[in-house]
Amino acid sequence: MKTVLFLAALAALHAAAAARAQERVHLPLLVPITGALALEGQSERDGALLALDPPAAAGDAARPLRPSHAVFDTGSNPQVAVQAFERAMAAEIRPRAMLGPIDGNSMLALLPLAEREKVALLSVSGTARLTELGNAYIFRFFPSDVVVKAAQARYAVEELQRRKIALVYQNTAYGQSGNEQLGRWIESLGAAVVYRNSVPVTTKELSGVIAQVRDSGADAVLLQLHSGSSALFLKQAARAGLALPIVGGSALHQPSTAALLEPAELKGVCAETASAPAADPGLAGFARTFRERMKSEPDAFALAAFDAVNAALAAARMPGPLAENLAKLRHAGLAMTYESDGKGNMAHDAIIVCYDGTSRTPRIAKRYARPHEAARR
Amino acid sequence: MSGRARIAAAGAAPLWLAAAAAVAMLAAAAGAYELRLLAIAGCYALAVLGYQFIFGRVGALSLAQGAFFGLGAYASALLALKLGWDFARSFPAAIALAVALAAVVGATVLRLASHYFALATLAVAELMHILVIEWVSLTGGGNGLPNVPGFVLFGWAVPRGWPVTAFVWAFAALGIALAANYSRSLYADGARLLRAEPLAAAAAGIDAAGRRLAAFLLSAAFGAAGGALYVHTLGVVSPEAMQFDVMVLILCMAVIGGRNAVAGAIVGALLLVHLPEWFRALEGWRYLAYGAGLLLVIVAAPEGIAGAVEAPWRRRLGTPAAPSGRTPIPDAAVPAARAAPFAEDRAILAVQGLAIAFGGNRALAGVTLFVRPGEILGLIGPNGSGKTTLLNLLSGFHRPDAGRIFLDGRDATRDPAWRRARAGIARSFQHGALAGDLTALDNVALAACGIRARAADVFRLPGRDAKRRRARDAALSALAKAGAAGAAHTMGADLAPAERRRVELARALVAEPRVILLDEPAAGLSDAEKAALRSALREIAARGIAIVVVDHGMPFLIPLASRVVCLDAGRVIAAGAPAEVVADPEVRRAYLGAGAVL
Amino acid sequence: MSWAQIAIDGLALGAAYALVALGFVLILNAAGAVNFAQGDLVMAGGFAAIALASALPLDALPVPGLVLAPLVALCGGGAGWIVAEIAYRPLRHRPPVAVFIATIAVGIVLQHGANGIFGAAERRTPPLVSGDAVVVGGLTLSLQTLAIVATAAIVILLLHRLLERTQLGRRLRAAAEDPEMARALGIPVRRLTALAFALGAGLAALAGLLLANVYFVTPTAGLAFMLKAYIAVTIGGWGSLRGAVAGAFLVALFEVAAGRLFSASLADALLYAALLLALLFRPEGLFGEAAGRRA
Repeated sequence: MKTVLFLAALAALHAAAAARAQERVHLPLLVPITGALALEGQSERDGALLALDPPAAAGDAARPLRPSHAVFDTGSNPQVAVQAFERAMAAEIRPRAMLGPIDGNSMLALLPLAEREKVALLSVSGTARLTELGNAYIFRFFPSDVVVKAAQARYAVEELQRRKIALVYQNTAYGQSGNEQLGRWIESLGAAVVYRNSVPVTTKELSGVIAQVRDSGADAVLLQLHSGSSALFLKQAARAGLALPIVGGSALHQPSTAALLEPAELKGVCAETASAPAADPGLAGFARTFRERMKSEPDAFALAAFDAVNAALAAARMPGPLAENLAKLRHAGLAMTYESDGKGNMAHDAIIVCYDGTSRTPRIAKRYARPHEAARR
Repeated sequence: MSGRARIAAAGAAPLWLAAAAAVAMLAAAAGAYELRLLAIAGCYALAVLGYQFIFGRVGALSLAQGAFFGLGAYASALLALKLGWDFARSFPAAIALAVALAAVVGATVLRLASHYFALATLAVAELMHILVIEWVSLTGGGNGLPNVPGFVLFGWAVPRGWPVTAFVWAFAALGIALAANYSRSLYADGARLLRAEPLAAAAAGIDAAGRRLAAFLLSAAFGAAGGALYVHTLGVVSPEAMQFDVMVLILCMAVIGGRNAVAGAIVGALLLVHLPEWFRALEGWRYLAYGAGLLLVIVAAPEGIAGAVEAPWRRRLGTPAAPSGRTPIPDAAVPAARAAPFAEDRAILAVQGLAIAFGGNRALAGVTLFVRPGEILGLIGPNGSGKTTLLNLLSGFHRPDAGRIFLDGRDATRDPAWRRARAGIARSFQHGALAGDLTALDNVALAACGIRARAADVFRLPGRDAKRRRARDAALSALAKAGAAGAAHTMGADLAPAERRRVELARALVAEPRVILLDEPAAGLSDAEKAALRSALREIAARGIAIVVVDHGMPFLIPLASRVVCLDAGRVIAAGAPAEVVADPEVRRAYLGAGAVL
Repeated sequence: MSWAQIAIDGLALGAAYALVALGFVLILNAAGAVNFAQGDLVMAGGFAAIALASALPLDALPVPGLVLAPLVALCGGGAGWIVAEIAYRPLRHRPPVAVFIATIAVGIVLQHGANGIFGAAERRTPPLVSGDAVVVGGLTLSLQTLAIVATAAIVILLLHRLLERTQLGRRLRAAAEDPEMARALGIPVRRLTALAFALGAGLAALAGLLLANVYFVTPTAGLAFMLKAYIAVTIGGWGSLRGAVAGAFLVALFEVAAGRLFSASLADALLYAALLLALLFRPEGLFGEAAGRRA
């Protein structure tokens, strides 16, 4: 089913909507492909490129929409992101939409600019704050931390029946936003946070953290760490014999994280994410094309960017301002169906994937449709 | 003043014109993107101008400038967001906060030597970085603070686009004016000597600790000013504004542009903000090209771009002339000793039981000696006997392990070097310690100023020109007396060895000292030059100034000295009239036995 | 987790830091300037090992990393030689800060070269020896940890012998202490300085191989190693080889012990606070300067 959808999405770029003349749409991709968030940024770029630059095999049919794009590095830094935005706006064809950087702090810097220039800012960042500022030009195609953290907390509390949670998070925008949401959900679900630790990206030896987790009497560990620290935690936890269930943040679903570990070190580990294109049989078509074109494994950020770009192109085909079209669009993407909640949140579903200890490819353990709404009740 | 001299005196005038032209050209052709880059470069330019005070001029590698930049950004943003202050209030408040922090930090870590100072400032900067990340409720943590308002002054919001850029550059221009003013001040000349020859600076009465603190406070103020402008230009602040990369960027801008040239800060900031933008087409590879570009620039212009542009300009014009070519040389060229309130036979400088060891190696083991006003005391001894160490103790460069030093009957053992210089001890150095990038005249003049420096000398305020003129007049007469008037306008680096010694002697004289310590003043001089030096020294002594001369050359010293003291292995083994000391069997065994020729 | 376990973890981390810091001091003494690319050379060593591992049939070997180690050190040495030629030699008569900036530029090139070639994902080098952890008296001794400590110890001892006991070592030190005098004595200063860069970078690359198996490597990892080496060298006494090793172990043990007692972020902050205190009470490093300052 997902494969069919994927092919349909690719085909949609070429055929259809012949009623409108070949209209040029310029879509700048503002992505951190250098710096601290380059791993996520490169995924984001690759997913978007796959949507914008279909393989030659798909044919060269007359296209009613002629999308063009340009990649702008935002260097994981708000200042560079703002410079990239101004540069992108100076393009020959005025952009009506852009893909924004995955780091929340760069997105926060771009929001007022997007509003001023009336440019739809597509986002795959989870930072909850982005859609709480009343900005009408943000469209987030990755579930907000409000959503995925609800799924992560619910899985630990409801499915695994855990009550005493240890929270280990990165001291970055990603980690702190996740920490705040996780803490809120854990308490509203009737469980308790018995331990918290904020970990810098540069801390390599986590055995002290693991010992403290053990001492705290926690019965489960929730992680909100970037890829490297997530892998370090699992590796060192396995070495120290920490026998607690671990539910990680989306970094833990990334194939590049699992690649750092032996399958045994991943046994019993779960992670929240929006999608798992490398593991989901329903997304095999996308995964195959992605591997062929990008020579790397696809992750949820790549797929979210792919879906976001397709949704933006669909909105561009509709008459009227692109941002307004996006706000009322219901887009059947590959990862999920996207629809704005009125604040710019387009993605509302999450999944939990788990590793069984025999391979580095997880299986989908649970799908949550709007987990935050159910949890709130 | 000739036209040539006027252009040269203006210093980096051509660079100024070029920079102004470049800014004007860019602004004229600019869209939002170009204006944005210009505005951001203006913010960094201020931070770099500030960094030049501590790093460029004083030569202390501070690694906290990025933190001051970030502090200015966070402070101004927080005051605007939490208290609703407009820029007219949040800007000075942010600067005041940074200066207050710099005062606390400076008071504790500025006494550390080079690398240890660098590490301490790094530690302070990293602590501040961790603080803004972890204090989530105040700073927003990793996400930082969004929606920082633009520039608002007394209810008037500066419109975005070119007015914002112009607003930023107006502050940058103010910073440029202040820094340029400083660079022509008496203070800046002292800083040059401080950087090149810290000991000579102390001996010239320059209070190194005080000047380092002043430079550190200035650097913090400029850094915070840049950061405050930055945050209202960008509209957000996050820990990225305070991370170590900002420090590295500011350091690169300072060195690439030119560490000491005001224009260098502007060129460096403009170039390094734009350089990665020029390579945007390379996408993920663009910083590779940036790094390669950085390497090429530093190899092509190791003294900075401003230095590279200025050097040929300087050469073409010749060395800068003195501002006033018609300074009359006073008849009484030798400054009179201060009225001596002490009896002729009383020692002006006396030491008792002076001892010091370096890492278990005993350099002095209980030296007692004295010198009277108007007396020339010769200090002899074999190599390693402790002669130079003794001079260094007298100057205050080391603190003795035991013993005391009296200056005019007052215990000066614990006085730092600069204070002893101000109390009347002047000295020369074996290797001729001058600032290479100042003329001989200014090298001497700054000693005249160093002795009576005031905080107001930091900037070239009205009235300070007169002070400088007086200092130069005094310097010129001292140079004349030392026989180096002809070299007055030669740069320190270009002086011949014999000239360096004369200039050093002039520098010792200009401070109107009561005691002059000379370390091998005759080394490398011809016989005729030695004779001239001898008579010059006799004339100085005749004015009531005490002179202590260390020298190997007996033929130079014996006819000159009124008394001679011989050291061996850190002890006095003989003292008295030159002929007696030379005839002393112990002296012969220790010293002359080594093959020296009388 | 017992304190003995912490000591072992700290020892392994310290051994790798010591290699980085030693390389830093070798270059510092030879060039009279800070090599800011030292951390990025560690990172580059990790990626060189990854590239070599994918090109060579190592999977069957019981000691893949040990086979790689000399190759990686050699690659690092070559890189060091190049750094000496392009970033040091043109600037050797210039202020040391020019060399400092040139090495910053080299670091940027290395970081973004790795990002361009290998991508931004964290990567892992092959283990020095393959095999599981041994549990001895309640302590988990991973073979890898033991191999790291052993490798670093052997390399440090060899380096010590090279510098103290051989003609080459004496010449290296002579060239570093007084290049003019050394030149007058017919010592090839230029080649020896390049050799010091090669040795220093080789040590960094080797550390990269050791660290990246246990702690992974990413193109942006260099700065953290650079800062650790810089702290180790400074508190150990600027320019002292023994001090650098001691400083490295001190930093690593502090890091691991503070990480056991406090939150990881607080441990970072405490390291810098402790540094400040140490500097206030011991203003010339914990073990004093290598060369006493004389007026």
